[in-house]
Amino acid sequence: MKLYAQQGSMEGDKIVSGLRNNLIDGVILSPRDIRLDTMKDKISEYRFIAQRTELYFDPQLYAAFSHSGEGHKLGYLLEDYSEYFKPYRRTQLTRESSVEDLLKRSIEFQSRIGELSAVIAPNIIIPRSLDSIETVISMNFIRLARKIANQLQIKKPLIVTLAINREALFKEQDILELVNDLTALDEPPDGFYILIATRSQEARSEIFNADVISIWMYLNYALSLNGFKVINGYSDLMAPFLSAAQGAGAATGWWSNLRNFSIEKFEPAAGGGRLPIQRYLSCSLLNRITFPELDQLRGMPEILNGLSTDGDYPAGAEPKRNKEILQSWESLKKLIGTLDAENIGTGVALEKCLVMVEKASNLYERITLRYDLDQKSNADHLPAIQEGIRLFKKLAELDPG
Amino acid sequence: MPITLPDPNDVKAAFPVITDLTFLAAGGFKAVYKIALGSKIEALKIIEMRSTPGASAEEKAIEWTELRARVSREVSVLKDINIPELVRLGAIELAPVLIGGKDYLAYSEEFIIGKDLMKLIRENGPRPDEVELRALILTLLKAIRELWGKGIIHRDIKPANIMKTEDPARPFVLMDLGIAFAVDETGITGNSAAIPATMKYIAPEMLFRGFRNMIDWRSDLYAAGLSVYEYAAFIHPLARGSDDPGTTLYNALKKTPKFLKEVRQDLNGKFCTLIDQMLKKKQALRPSNIEMLIKNLEAGL
Repeated sequence: MKLYAQQGSMEGDKIVSGLRNNLIDGVILSPRDIRLDTMKDKISEYRFIAQRTELYFDPQLYAAFSHSGEGHKLGYLLEDYSEYFKPYRRTQLTRESSVEDLLKRSIEFQSRIGELSAVIAPNIIIPRSLDSIETVISMNFIRLARKIANQLQIKKPLIVTLAINREALFKEQDILELVNDLTALDEPPDGFYILIATRSQEARSEIFNADVISIWMYLNYALSLNGFKVINGYSDLMAPFLSAAQGAGAATGWWSNLRNFSIEKFEPAAGGGRLPIQRYLSCSLLNRITFPELDQLRGMPEILNGLSTDGDYPAGAEPKRNKEILQSWESLKKLIGTLDAENIGTGVALEKCLVMVEKASNLYERITLRYDLDQKSNADHLPAIQEGIRLFKKLAELDPG
Repeated sequence: MPITLPDPNDVKAAFPVITDLTFLAAGGFKAVYKIALGSKIEALKIIEMRSTPGASAEEKAIEWTELRARVSREVSVLKDINIPELVRLGAIELAPVLIGGKDYLAYSEEFIIGKDLMKLIRENGPRPDEVELRALILTLLKAIRELWGKGIIHRDIKPANIMKTEDPARPFVLMDLGIAFAVDETGITGNSAAIPATMKYIAPEMLFRGFRNMIDWRSDLYAAGLSVYEYAAFIHPLARGSDDPGTTLYNALKKTPKFLKEVRQDLNGKFCTLIDQMLKKKQALRPSNIEMLIKNLEAGL
């Protein structure tokens, strides 16, 4: 599995450092956060660092659909990307011709802005019910994308956005039928850019839920089996588990709104925030802990990953803010490398996942004997992962006969 | 009830072009003969126009219409397709014919020299090696691709319908499109609950109500996987000969087969995984990208 930077605001030199140090394999570009001219320059710059860098452009059209007036945080989308991006209402998109028009403008735009690795067809978000007009619209985007790409004579691979509200994942039968349809398209794309939308960009429990984990893994597994390249946007700590389920790519970034996908990011802000406390991603815990917690736990050598970015977390001092994401990328890359089904097969990868979860549980038990961890740093994610893998194995018919 | 076999002399009399005729096999409605048309050898298929005992004239007319439609479909599919992986039509065109005073439909196909895989399994000779099994799955994948390209599902892929030939350029041939299904046509069978298939090879989705809206080429992939597995292991992965129909159907829906690698340890692991994957109950879990499968298999996987 490849690891990508999920681009966002205040990028600074983070992505360039990630690429230069081989911590990431590419970038998923965010037009909301970058002016068009800068975007073109960045594409050239990233390419210059490494020709093999994979570059994708998320058209973010899902934000246009939810736009309802003032205060929305659409960044540069309305101004610089108006060639394909403008607010839409649901009724407008029920017409197939409107969907075709949007696909055409968005794909055409991507074919002109620089050397991207593929074009990503836009989509809207499937809401909590799969039995909805939005689902029909979303399926139209998916169904029609190849036809439009062919009409435009696009030679690059075609990836189609599949954005689903996490609530919809609880309706297992509906999701299974959706996957059944996606794997039998008459004119299939080359891959899917999967986004699982949460209500809030902060709530860890929204993603670390057994049903969400199992279905997200199932989406990766079934689509990959059918020859699709599956890229998971905003997947962060889910990335290693998705790699065990044969996902091809995962992305994460430096803000919490780049680690969880939520439309909240585009909506009016409730108020100002302060910079979050910096965290260290511990491979053994399958989680991040705050840097003061890391200092407290340095006596337990398993907490540290033994990677080069450990040096950016000096004992007793706050790390530099632009280093946190590099540490995350390097750690995730290590976890992905251990669990990648492409190298070891899904069966073995899942067994390894379970062993890692078990070890993490034991380590947490030892920690909690002596320390109280912050709410985000605790072991709440582990039972969900364990159960999620069990459910996934059942869904994917991986248990032996 | 098996077909009422006509007297061979009556068959010859109905087809004066036939210079020699040997009975080969018979099923419920159909009998097959090896025939000579001068120097050319073909297989003659005759289908009895029969109706359920006690059926009214109206019911009889419906049954005959269904049967004619089914055979016509088989023949028109074969007419449209000309690939070595599928049996080709012969010189005798489909037509109703009176043989010994009874109504039949008849047409001819090319005569394939070889044995069907079920016979080979029953003979329990040496098991096929991986090269042969790869050739078999490639044949079936190419046939399924061709059929699906025309919106058709074979629905009866099984060892008894696959001939192993002596021609290295054409090692296997898929036969008998008698219950093939065209997705854009209405069902031939008046009874929508009837499932036209061989139960031991039926894909799980065909057991659901309204299955005609659910099936696609992946149902054929399932049956192809089962056939390759059975031919590789000489054991059906889900059914035993002694099973009652209920058990057979339950197994199709619920039972997970043993991994092929467990019963054929000499075979390549990736090849076994591919066959195992084709046997998954959910259609979405069967690798459906036939182009990619063929490419990988031809490249040695």
